[in-house]
Amino acid sequence: MYSRGVRKLNVMANNFKTIKYGRQYNLALWVYAAMFYFFLYGPLLMLVFLSFNKSEIVGFPFEGFSIKWYHVVFESPELIRALANSIGVGVLSAVIATTLALSLSMAFRHDFWGKSLVLYLILVPIIIPGIIGGIVLLIFFGFSEIRPSLWTTVLVAHVNWVLPFAFLTLYPRLHGFDRALEEAAMDLGAKPWVIFSRIVFPLIRPGIIATALFSFSLSFDEFVRTIFVTGFQRTIPVQFWGLIVDELAPQLPAMAVIIILISILTSLIGFIYMRRKVN
Amino acid sequence: MRVLPKNYEKKVSENSTMSKKKLSKSRFDGVKPIGKPLFLLAPGVLWLLIFGLAPLLFMLMMSFWTSSIFGTKPDFSFDNFSRVFFTELYRDQLIKTLRIAFMTTMLTLIISYPVAFLLSRLQGLRKAFFVLLIFLPFWTSYVIRAFVWLPILGRNGAINNFLQSLGVIDAPLDWLLFNEGSVFLGLVYVYTLFMTLPIYLSLEKIDGALVEAATDLGAKPFSVFYRIILPLSWPGVLSGCIMVFLLTVGAFVTPQLLGGPSGIMYGNVIASQFLANNNWAFGSALSISLILIVMILLAISSRWIGVQHVFTGGKET
Repeated sequence: MYSRGVRKLNVMANNFKTIKYGRQYNLALWVYAAMFYFFLYGPLLMLVFLSFNKSEIVGFPFEGFSIKWYHVVFESPELIRALANSIGVGVLSAVIATTLALSLSMAFRHDFWGKSLVLYLILVPIIIPGIIGGIVLLIFFGFSEIRPSLWTTVLVAHVNWVLPFAFLTLYPRLHGFDRALEEAAMDLGAKPWVIFSRIVFPLIRPGIIATALFSFSLSFDEFVRTIFVTGFQRTIPVQFWGLIVDELAPQLPAMAVIIILISILTSLIGFIYMRRKVN
Repeated sequence: MRVLPKNYEKKVSENSTMSKKKLSKSRFDGVKPIGKPLFLLAPGVLWLLIFGLAPLLFMLMMSFWTSSIFGTKPDFSFDNFSRVFFTELYRDQLIKTLRIAFMTTMLTLIISYPVAFLLSRLQGLRKAFFVLLIFLPFWTSYVIRAFVWLPILGRNGAINNFLQSLGVIDAPLDWLLFNEGSVFLGLVYVYTLFMTLPIYLSLEKIDGALVEAATDLGAKPFSVFYRIILPLSWPGVLSGCIMVFLLTVGAFVTPQLLGGPSGIMYGNVIASQFLANNNWAFGSALSISLILIVMILLAISSRWIGVQHVFTGGKET
């Protein structure tokens, strides 16, 4: 099924390519694209470059190569703790959000009353601006007299944020796979739980892993909601923000590079799982 | 009679799998998927009701309360809202924010469309590579992607350093940072993907047969573009515009870092009610107003595109 889709896509792409624009237009398009990619990557590459700058100020001129800022980052107990906090909350919110999303996606294979209402409910956290997503929780927990802390308020904020994306990633997976095996098992009298654990789950496992990895990455980078509900245990983006606002600390570029590497790597692995063929 | 084409067999087999698919789709409707919807829905829906909807409704309620130095007290007054919409300071701030969001949306659209178009015309590994290359930066924290402009535009930034070393300027330029322009730059940089991706997906979906037919009938490449490709990519353009607008209208990080006093946006005004002024009731009214604007926007655009399709790239759910 999947490969047929790909073949169809290729045929389409071929036809699409049959329109021939003049060479100069193609060239212009490529030059434009090169500028676009430079716009995307230039600043990030510059950040990598600056992270090796010996200078005490964030910026230029480049005073010489040094890895001392990486030492500063890894030898700062505060930063290591923030990193551990972020990874902990990221893992836990990925697990919670993926589980909830899986359950919701299974439900969405049925027809039930109020389906579109539930869909709107799922989409609410991405429709309302992020800053308000943080503030509503600040008010809500403030009046419920729940103290802001990593494993309560921050975790809730992260799951709220991640859940819609987890659902949107996972649902097409559950909706798209060939149900013939599942139906055969049902005809042979297998119990729902057996069908789930032996057939459905193995079929969508790459999708689940991808969803969990994306969720982790989203949570790891979350800032604007977290800042309003954070307690004493800060996450890494909150810590990063503090360092920018307080003093524009010289270790910021090195810290940024480490954060970028972690989130890009998890997303990239998620992406690879996502593209895995279900068959 | 026409002679059977060479790939006749292949076509037949494709047709038969097509009908098999149709068959299994009709069976899909017949055999119920496993699990009871109520049980499956319960955990997620409960979570969303308690931590998603309830806090929002609570904030809606609080927007009618009154805040004083003694705290925020229940009340039923429209004072907060009249202050939101009729005080010059807040009204101007709102208009300015809408203007910035609109401009950013247009800028990302203009910047993204040609790139999306190019990507949709690539094939195979090359395509995968360039699409992935677009994704990569957006998998990193937006705080970092906003921050990165400080060492570019700042006093010790790349641009000032470059110009000084060339001897074009003697002293660093201060006007590069902390104004509306730097906010635009930051916002475009942070949110372009949300425009590029939906446009790319909608261009991908265009049936090549249409293009082929038009070309066969003698349409010039550019009229093919204007009369077929452009109109058919409209859903992608629209969903990209909605997403970028939604994201920028509530922006907080970028204007806070790059905006300075003249570049602050509504998100910063809202945040200061909670972080500095401690006026929760008024802050709630500001937030509710922003949500209302977002809802109105979505309601208007729902004439062309459903809310669920904005976020699912037009996939049926």
